[in-house]
Amino acid sequence: MSYLLEVINLKKSFGENEVLKDVNMKVKKGEVVVIIGPSGSGKSTLLRCINRLEEPTDGKILLDGVDITDKSIDINKVRQRIGMVFQQFNLFPHLTALQNVMLAPLKIKKMNKREAEETAIKLLNKVGLGDQINKYPAQLSGGQQQRVAIARALAMNPEVMLFDEVTSALDPELVKEVLDVMKQLAKDGMTMLVVTHEMGFAREVGDRLIFMDEGVIVEEGIPEEIFRNPKNPRTQKFLSVIL
Amino acid sequence: MAGVGQFDIDLFVRILPDLAFGAFVTLELTSLSILFGLIIGTIAGLARVSKNPVFFGVSTLYVEIIRGTPLLVQILIIYFGLPAIGINLRPEPAGIIALSICSGAYIAEIVRAGIESIPTGQMEAARSLGMSYLQAMRYVIFPQAFRNILPALGNEFIALLKDSSLLSVISIVELTRVGRQIVNTTFNAWTPFLGVALFYLMMTIPLSRLVDYSQKRLGTYEVK
Repeated sequence: MSYLLEVINLKKSFGENEVLKDVNMKVKKGEVVVIIGPSGSGKSTLLRCINRLEEPTDGKILLDGVDITDKSIDINKVRQRIGMVFQQFNLFPHLTALQNVMLAPLKIKKMNKREAEETAIKLLNKVGLGDQINKYPAQLSGGQQQRVAIARALAMNPEVMLFDEVTSALDPELVKEVLDVMKQLAKDGMTMLVVTHEMGFAREVGDRLIFMDEGVIVEEGIPEEIFRNPKNPRTQKFLSVIL
Repeated sequence: MAGVGQFDIDLFVRILPDLAFGAFVTLELTSLSILFGLIIGTIAGLARVSKNPVFFGVSTLYVEIIRGTPLLVQILIIYFGLPAIGINLRPEPAGIIALSICSGAYIAEIVRAGIESIPTGQMEAARSLGMSYLQAMRYVIFPQAFRNILPALGNEFIALLKDSSLLSVISIVELTRVGRQIVNTTFNAWTPFLGVALFYLMMTIPLSRLVDYSQKRLGTYEVK
């Protein structure tokens, strides 16, 4: 079985501070991998290395068998295949929801305007915002903004989606609407890497759970089993605090 | 006839066309210079936020040199100095070049500040979609930065319009020079120079009102 994404001996340091120490991970197509761990454990850095928003210090990242850390690779092409959603949404405030979703297909894929608009409307409908397409980000709630951000990432038709603590900046009552969209995506067969503190989501949607601490993967396996019977003392300690 | 020291209305009316002509030249020189200055300043501003040490170094040196020397000296070097190395310019091109290079340096710093005012998450979001650095700048960072810096650019335009009076030293017949010529022939300094000041105000006040208006207008992205 070949993997869509392979992380091999990945290391990342910020100056003296080694944030990722030899991380290895394989993700199959259609798999939903949930990454949990205390803050500072390197989980966000791992995600950001996968689309090279951070340059890995050492190691390889294979997407469909091709090493994307290779200097000769066109990183812009690679990133089009990897969608990312951020904690702070990072919507473009000068553009409407519709324009946010259309921008990349228009300017990068050179899609014609009508096609880009149709795709964008379809995606905004999918995330439940069909009636908000002409609003600016500042006119939308956090949950709505995050759903636009998901639609924006999906507009490039990525093969894998990275979610970096996407509900952490939301008011509690707005978390569910974003998680519901992500659940639907998982059901549709999207390959997803999800860094989150939402244990309910991890349990319900995750095919695999990865627990990270101090820059290494401490434990991984089927979410339900890890929650019920964590083997590593560090996992036990973390889960006892958080559950 | 009014005496020396009093405002001479008759003279003022007579010199109005000359002052208007001078004001037109001033506006023309300033507009052209701000246009070139914007081009230079945008490129230099991009270089100022660049990680490339050559771009950063050259642009920083440029900004430091221009901001650290008087515009008058820059004008004198370009018009009277450059012939020494074989470059002879007529006054108008020399003046426009001097003003463009000077305003370019100040605009570079405005552009730099504008780019830096945009949260890094914007660049990351654009890049994560697959945009190149320049595409992200063009479609995501610049449109937002431009709104933020529009008032500063307006102020730079006003400053440059006033500074263009220095071009009178290289015998460009702009507004200030027109005033001095009139003084030389009428031996009346009071009326023509007040007229000159009035014409500057007629250009700068509407401009600063426009800047204020744009500042209020562009304060928010919420279009209800």
